[in-house]
Amino acid sequence: MFFSLIKKQFKVFLRNPSELLLLLVMPIGLIIILSFALGSLWGGSNGETMEIEIAVIQHEDELKQFQNFIVEAKQTIPMTEPLLESMKSMLPVSILLDQVLNNGETQEFVKVTKLEKSDLEDARNGGNYNAIIEIPEGFTNDYLTSVFLNKNAPTFQVYLNESEQMTSVVIQNILDYYQYQYSLFTELAKNQLLTEEMTIPTLDITSNIKTVASKDPITSSTYYTFSMSVMFILFLAGTIASHAYLEKDSHIFDRIILAQVNPVTYLASIVVSTVILTLLQIGILFLVSYLIFKVPFTNLHLYLLITFMLSLVIGGVSALLSSLNYRTNSAEASNIFSNAFVAILALLGGSFFNISGISPVLAEIGLWVPNGAALEGYLKLVQDGSFSSIQSIITNLGIQAFILILVAFLLFPKRGGIA
Amino acid sequence: MLEVVNLSKVYKKVKAVDQVNFYIEPGEIVGLLGPNGAGKSTTIAMISTLIPPTEGDVLLRNENVIKEPTKLRKILGVVPQEIALYGDLTARENLEFFGSVHKMSKKLLKERIEIVLKQIGLENEHKKLVKHYSGGMKRRLNIGVALLHEPQYLIMDEPTVGIDPQSRNHILETVKQLNQESNTAIIYTSHYMEEVEYLCNRIYIMDKGRIIASGAKEEIKSILSSEKMVVVKFNRHSNVFIQELMDLPLLSNINVKESEINFTVAKDTNLLPTLMTLCEKHKIVLNSFQVEEPTLEDVFLHLTGRALRN
Ligand SMILES: Nc1ncnc2c1ncn2[C@@H]1O[C@H](COP(=O)(O)OP(=O)(O)OP(=O)(O)O)[C@@H](O)[C@H]1O
Ligand SMILES: [Mg+2]
Repeated sequence: MFFSLIKKQFKVFLRNPSELLLLLVMPIGLIIILSFALGSLWGGSNGETMEIEIAVIQHEDELKQFQNFIVEAKQTIPMTEPLLESMKSMLPVSILLDQVLNNGETQEFVKVTKLEKSDLEDARNGGNYNAIIEIPEGFTNDYLTSVFLNKNAPTFQVYLNESEQMTSVVIQNILDYYQYQYSLFTELAKNQLLTEEMTIPTLDITSNIKTVASKDPITSSTYYTFSMSVMFILFLAGTIASHAYLEKDSHIFDRIILAQVNPVTYLASIVVSTVILTLLQIGILFLVSYLIFKVPFTNLHLYLLITFMLSLVIGGVSALLSSLNYRTNSAEASNIFSNAFVAILALLGGSFFNISGISPVLAEIGLWVPNGAALEGYLKLVQDGSFSSIQSIITNLGIQAFILILVAFLLFPKRGGIA
Repeated sequence: MLEVVNLSKVYKKVKAVDQVNFYIEPGEIVGLLGPNGAGKSTTIAMISTLIPPTEGDVLLRNENVIKEPTKLRKILGVVPQEIALYGDLTARENLEFFGSVHKMSKKLLKERIEIVLKQIGLENEHKKLVKHYSGGMKRRLNIGVALLHEPQYLIMDEPTVGIDPQSRNHILETVKQLNQESNTAIIYTSHYMEEVEYLCNRIYIMDKGRIIASGAKEEIKSILSSEKMVVVKFNRHSNVFIQELMDLPLLSNINVKESEINFTVAKDTNLLPTLMTLCEKHKIVLNSFQVEEPTLEDVFLHLTGRALRN
């Protein structure tokens, strides 16, 4: 019986070409149009491969400082041959330049240019570099002193070009990694491990940088695939609720009640068929985007998780709208939703443009509308791809689904009738 | 026996149903006759447990069904006034859907669908989407859906509105057959008195939420048995003439339609001589004089002073 209710819903849907047009053809068209029309606005991050240009300004030669340090340190630390070797392999600037910025992995997308002191101003104003690293005078000497003689560690200056978000995130990650390695040496030295006859552990820099680098930049087609999908899925809720109202208006619902079907079962069938139809609709839209735009969908199961949570929310929305329609004995609730409210939700949820740039308050509200939360989740997956990055989004969606479904069931009238 | 006692329904301002008493025995066809807005559908919705009455009870074999509707719903079929069908499904799919909602077994449902399709004469058109059906075909399927689970009581709310005479005859025959062959008790609602006259043994006449007359067909007509309907035609008439006609103490319910005038008179009056004298006086020629058997329409007119259909 429950299955019949769902099967009927599907048949009615498939036989309504105008609704399929709205739910599938429109969003696909919009994704394509917006991706091409607005693609250029997405600028630097639109390309397939990322190019990072880093300028390094080194105020003093490293080897010379190293020699000076040995001369001074000899008086306090016994200099053995292995220790000298170790020290040589941990010179900070060399590590940064050779191992971190110029290893096999990073080479592909990082281009390092050495500049003179005098070029700094021009480089900063010119904006040709994604980052400028300025290493001050005596840096290596200070560093070695801090490691072996327990003094304060020196710092160097990084100027990031923040206007290009993706690249600056990558650079920050690289530098964080460098920082980590840096402090590891310090720890090793403090625990006297470096004085033993040991080789410096070769750290697996590459793997970390790789995940950072493989973070796909959000292209316009990716953005609009998700933003349009989460927007048009809202129309599905409106459509199903208006179907439900037609069932009441034509007294089909009376027949269902007279057949001894519990109204709660009927409402549950609306939720379940909405969930299935949502999964199908999003599935089709994503498949099309995958085929046309090669939107990557790495970690597919996490995309499915968000989609499933979203579909529960949409199920809740359609149940709530159905309840309101039944209560008011008109299709007003679902009409107002489809004709006006969807546009507001789309705006809040960032379906047209990223609203967080305008106001942080709106951005926060955006996370509490179904489409906004799901969009945020999808975009996080594109950039990061880990479960932890979408955990709070999943919770958000879960809370929304729960509240909507609960209210819908409380509001739904328990009898049929001509009222 | 299905029975309603002092049933009332009050909407904010309207008293849609007012102290209605009503019963139907197994195997009977009972007519519920009334003009638009009389409260027929509201009464039916309460009998079928779809809306709660403001006051009064619905009893099935003396058991209250308002709080415990299951027993009634099992043996009740309702044909709503509206076409309660999915236009986007075929006739067969509609029957399959409503049958499975009734939790009928696959096998039984299959058998019943064949039988019902024959009963409603759609066995050759069951593959068409219902939205492409004619009005009459939709009405027939609307009835068919209510027959699937072989109800003992069938309530039909104006099952013949807005369809061609042929479909209408088909439906009337189906109803009669259903009653005779399956002994289904039927409450038949209509504002066509000739349908009710043809089908029903007992009749309730409803107006403005109230039952204004009830009983066997003959009993109802005998409300008028002390009177007769007269229709007369003159070559012309004038206001003075009509006024004098109205002043005659024998006549009541005078109705003037152009050259035709109708009225009721007590059964044993000989009106003709009086009428002739009056004509002579005004130099008017009497063209025809006709005495008619009362119909339900006349009963309704007699009871309410209004025509059943306007
Ligand atoms: N839900 C409602 N709210 C307010 N008034 C209602 C409601 N349902 C019916 N009514 C009123 O109750 C009265 C009886 O309506 P009902 O539909 O029962 O009449 P009916 O005899 O079936 O008429 P028809 O022949 O037009 O179907 C009408 O005046 C109608 O306007
Ligand atoms: Mg009615």
